[in-house]
Amino acid sequence: MTTASRTAPKPIGMRLLSNSRGLTRRSPTFAAGLIIVGFFAFLSFFASWVAPFNPIQVFPDSVLTAPGGQFFLGTDGNGMDVFSRVIHGSRFAFSIAIPSVVLMIAIGVPLGLITGYRGGMLDEILLRILDVMRSFPAIILALAVVAATGQTLLNVIIVLGLVEAPIFARVVRAEVLTLRSSGFVESAVAAGNSTRRVIFVHIMPNAISGATAQIALRMAWAVRASATLAFLGIGIQAPAPEWGAMIRQGAEFMISGQWWIALFPGIALVCIVLGFNLLGDGLHDLLDPKRKPTGK
Amino acid sequence: MLSGPMANEAEIEEVRRSLGLDRPIFEQFFVYVQNLLRGDLGKSWQSNEPVLDEILLRLPASIELLILALVTGTIIGVPTGLYAAYRPNRLFDQITRFGSLLGFSIPTYWFALVATFVFFFLLRWAAPPLGRIGMEVFPPPDITGSYFVDSLLTGNLAAASSAGHHLLLPAIVFSIIVSAPIIKQTRAIALEALGSDYVRYARACGYGPGLVRRIALRASFAPIVTFIGSETTTMLLAVSLIEFIFSWGGFGQWGLNAILFGDFAAVQGYVLVLATFSAFVFLFVDLLVLLFEPRSGLLK
Repeated sequence: MTTASRTAPKPIGMRLLSNSRGLTRRSPTFAAGLIIVGFFAFLSFFASWVAPFNPIQVFPDSVLTAPGGQFFLGTDGNGMDVFSRVIHGSRFAFSIAIPSVVLMIAIGVPLGLITGYRGGMLDEILLRILDVMRSFPAIILALAVVAATGQTLLNVIIVLGLVEAPIFARVVRAEVLTLRSSGFVESAVAAGNSTRRVIFVHIMPNAISGATAQIALRMAWAVRASATLAFLGIGIQAPAPEWGAMIRQGAEFMISGQWWIALFPGIALVCIVLGFNLLGDGLHDLLDPKRKPTGK
Repeated sequence: MLSGPMANEAEIEEVRRSLGLDRPIFEQFFVYVQNLLRGDLGKSWQSNEPVLDEILLRLPASIELLILALVTGTIIGVPTGLYAAYRPNRLFDQITRFGSLLGFSIPTYWFALVATFVFFFLLRWAAPPLGRIGMEVFPPPDITGSYFVDSLLTGNLAAASSAGHHLLLPAIVFSIIVSAPIIKQTRAIALEALGSDYVRYARACGYGPGLVRRIALRASFAPIVTFIGSETTTMLLAVSLIEFIFSWGGFGQWGLNAILFGDFAAVQGYVLVLATFSAFVFLFVDLLVLLFEPRSGLLK
């Protein structure tokens, strides 16, 4: 679970973290995002210690208790502790978002490298897929596919990963196109390197900086998307402490005045998505030499 | 699924044959396209009504909400983004940057729920989230499909106020959701234009800040319109979720329900309309950009 803070900014993170004060000055957005995401990574890892109760333990005597007292954020319609459930929800957020983004990278980056370098038929197919994606909200596609293929955690991860993989392909492809005819690539080819070696050893390290900022943004997307799916009742089902599923449970109580069931998981969701978005924006600022860092 | 849980082998086989599912998949697809060209999208097994009729019945309600939010979102988003870009890194810019990022991160359905709670349950300002018009009012005759516009056209003020009241909260929630990415992108586009060589040249020529901004605005127009056009695609999901929360009874809510209940003909219709809608929006945006693009020379 701790991989959350590590996977997001790994290669640049290492370099920049050695100088964290300078980093905060150069991009406060990045620093703020890192703190928020790190906080949630901590929560998810130590959920069992931080949470006062088991997230699916039922207290039949105190169904729908308002926040305060023994139950810090109240209890839901089943008599489960909302605070413990919100904390445990961060586990679901990371355990869906991390593998699905890893899948996006595993498919998207090689695809972008190959299509960008080779062009041809595969490139055309990729471009058409990107056109289709542009005309269609990806979450609706994911929704329909998960609903049709079976509602398991694994399916949610795979579908979210597949649906957004072309984004990585697009970002990497664009970088490869500009690098393809540059001097160092030509000399690598002239020196007799195989195509595979040229692509993965010479081009790849130079082409993935744009994709790095995308990692954080895609994490934000994946957390949001999985919660949306669960809110609609697809994917992870109700007693499991998933934020989207909790909002779904709380939705019917919202009109009758039991606001705390849906409010708190939503706040957690907003915070973590905001954290990833700040992280992504900050990375974008830091990595883009054309843009002046904020605060200057 | 259709023949019910008690069906035996023969009955299932019978249903399969009547739906043409025993034929190869290419033939099934061919038949679907053939029917599509005749305007037949199949039947929804939930309601047993033709899918096309169901869509046409519900589409105006969604379009009403969509257009209203798009217009308000643009009216809020573009000037805010421009103003932030004119004075980068000042307080206003910092606030709008954070605000738009926050709007970016809020799940639509949760925001709608919280808004319902605050404005309906606590303050009693908003109408109940139970559809497009009050139960006590007769809906107006169908002219444009928008209850509010129709009741105004027929002079039915009671219905108009009820419809407007019901429309208000979903429209405000939706506009806020829509304006966040527009603010962000407008700011980025305008900043890029303001930092470009021709703007620097204009400054060097001694033009005042007002004129310089007008030049930059002219250049930013095409990318901003293109972005708003591509935003409508993501708005399609948001409109579905908002309809879901407010029981709007529109096309989006119907489509989500079709997905949830595995109503395949309806899902196909839903997806088809979404894709067609986006295609038309992109075409419209491209034409609009061409019209206003100084280099195309169409607008002399």
